[in-house]
Amino acid sequence: MNRVMKVAWMYHDIMDLYGDKGNMMVLKKRCEDRGIDFILHTIGIGQEADLSDYDLIFLGGGADKEQMSLIPDLLSRKENIQKAMDENTFVLLICGGYQLFGKYYEAADHSKIPGLGFYSYYTDTGKEGSRCIGNVVIEAVLDGRKTKIVGFENHGGQTLGVEHPLGAVIKGYGNSFDAGQEGFYDGKILGTYLHGPLLPKNPEVADFVIYKALKKRDPDFRFEDLAPLSDHWENLAREAIFKKLEIQE
Amino acid sequence: MRFLSILTTKSSAYLLQKIGRGGSLPGQLGLKFDPDIFKKLTFKGPVIVVTGTNGKTSTANMIADLFERAGKKVVSNRRGDNLREGIATTLLANANLQGVVQADVVVLEVDELNVKYILPNLPVSAFVVNNFFRDQLDRAREMEQLIESIEKVLPNYDQTLILNGNDPNVVRLALKAPKANVVYFGLGRNKYSQETTNEASEGKFCPVCGNRLEYSYYQYSHIGSFHCAKCHFRTPILNVELHDIDLEDHTFYFHQEKFKDPYQGMYSMYNCAAIIAVAEVFCIGFDVVRQVFANAPQPKGRNEKFIKDGREVVLNLIKNPTGANEVMKVIEHDPADRLIVIVLNDKEQDGIDISWIYDTYFEKLMSKNTKKIVTTGTRGTDMALRLYYGGYQGVLETKETIEEALQEIGNDHDKLYVIATYTALLPSRTAIKKELGL
Repeated sequence: MNRVMKVAWMYHDIMDLYGDKGNMMVLKKRCEDRGIDFILHTIGIGQEADLSDYDLIFLGGGADKEQMSLIPDLLSRKENIQKAMDENTFVLLICGGYQLFGKYYEAADHSKIPGLGFYSYYTDTGKEGSRCIGNVVIEAVLDGRKTKIVGFENHGGQTLGVEHPLGAVIKGYGNSFDAGQEGFYDGKILGTYLHGPLLPKNPEVADFVIYKALKKRDPDFRFEDLAPLSDHWENLAREAIFKKLEIQE
Repeated sequence: MRFLSILTTKSSAYLLQKIGRGGSLPGQLGLKFDPDIFKKLTFKGPVIVVTGTNGKTSTANMIADLFERAGKKVVSNRRGDNLREGIATTLLANANLQGVVQADVVVLEVDELNVKYILPNLPVSAFVVNNFFRDQLDRAREMEQLIESIEKVLPNYDQTLILNGNDPNVVRLALKAPKANVVYFGLGRNKYSQETTNEASEGKFCPVCGNRLEYSYYQYSHIGSFHCAKCHFRTPILNVELHDIDLEDHTFYFHQEKFKDPYQGMYSMYNCAAIIAVAEVFCIGFDVVRQVFANAPQPKGRNEKFIKDGREVVLNLIKNPTGANEVMKVIEHDPADRLIVIVLNDKEQDGIDISWIYDTYFEKLMSKNTKKIVTTGTRGTDMALRLYYGGYQGVLETKETIEEALQEIGNDHDKLYVIATYTALLPSRTAIKKELGL
């Protein structure tokens, strides 16, 4: 019987800025190319779902105003998300999704939006509407695997009080203007500001997410158990962006 | 400082024109001498401002044509210098030293984020808004902030608003302009209207109460007939409503009169509707409108055809998901076997963030009659990666330069489509001509 990876893509039609849906395309293809059945469910406002039944929860970024509309629904799922994380459902969060797992985020109009509060980090708004925009490269260590992650950031939010950053910034801004650190990773959730989208040009991160998700049903599953793929186009695109940014891979 | 500002702009614009340049520099100098120069100008007739994400250049140019054919002297930034400085160049270079703009009518294409500098400072008599789509968000920030920047200058605007009544993000502008006279244009339900869509990224929520918007039908992207289930916000009654749309013949009707759209696609029909709305507001006859459509120049990079010795190359500009989807619909509907070259650049004018290619349905290209796709440009490898993850099964290659990409296609007599982002358009045209020997 094939392995199965079951993904809950939360608020797919609200949190869909900057091509984040590309991440799902990547996970799907990288699973299916290895004979892993990829099941993707979109979960919208008011839709009944037991998130602990999934191997991965994915939440992308949205525009301030639209993001606001999902807050009550998200908060109503807090216990269920906690249960999912306790039962080793892995969580991938981009931009707005990342912010919402912290204490709060301050919108561009200075209103404070409560987050799920699972973590102590919080997000203030950039001074006078300033935003961190541009290509970004970080060096991350994912459960001992050292890798460079490349993406594009575009956020006004300044995320502070991050206890477990995902990586050190080599190029770009990161969690805030002079943070020097980007994202959040504690083994249970991976949050980041990196769009691009994140996964196409970072196949190692994509596989890491698949590995973490598959561990839920098979705790003995190892990263090395994922059959290697050619990564021909991934590597070409990676080389091109690293060359452009004058960074040694 | 008005005198110096105008004199500097006029003389530098004149000098730059002599060496074949123009653009924003003269206006930039003029604004340095007098930042309030816009307010100190006098106009002899109406000032019309056009903005929106897609189609504002062709719409503004056709509006300028409309007045010219109606016998007026028109000043317009026809070359698309649509930022504050470029507009200053256009106005000051055409003003006398007393600050009187020498024109019967002024037509200005204005970048969405520059409306806030123009609308409050010029005696605008008609403000035309086409549509709002995601476009180069790295520069324009989120679309919401862009719309708000326009909303902020509307409360005191007391002239005419000419709005696309099928775009909720445009219709909402009227809510902030209580003193304005509002004219809505749009398309009625037609044989292409669809009850569901997977193309709409905008227009999901009611701008008044935040509830989900419901659509009776979509024309393309999020443009269509919408209503909020909880409040009064809905598609207004259209003052100019085109009907009996025929996309094959490029024809439509208004008030039982038949018109021919000079361009292709549903989005172009909306530009036509905007032109007719302007004609109605300024009492210009349909005969003049028809002349404008019949003589509209084929803009470069919009289905631009190159034909020689039985070889046919079609060049298209893409700059954002909605525009690109419409371009690909035209290719999708062409039954001919084809080869495709995609040139993706990430320079400032293209947008340095290329994530929009994942919001665009390149899958439309992936049919059996697409024999081969070659990607190039500064981010050509990203484009190839996008096609790979989109599940493209045909031959896929990537090349360093557009010349190499075209050589890769070689003498194949299948139809070739070249799709290029903004800064790749000119180099693509040059390379196509060279390849075909034109």
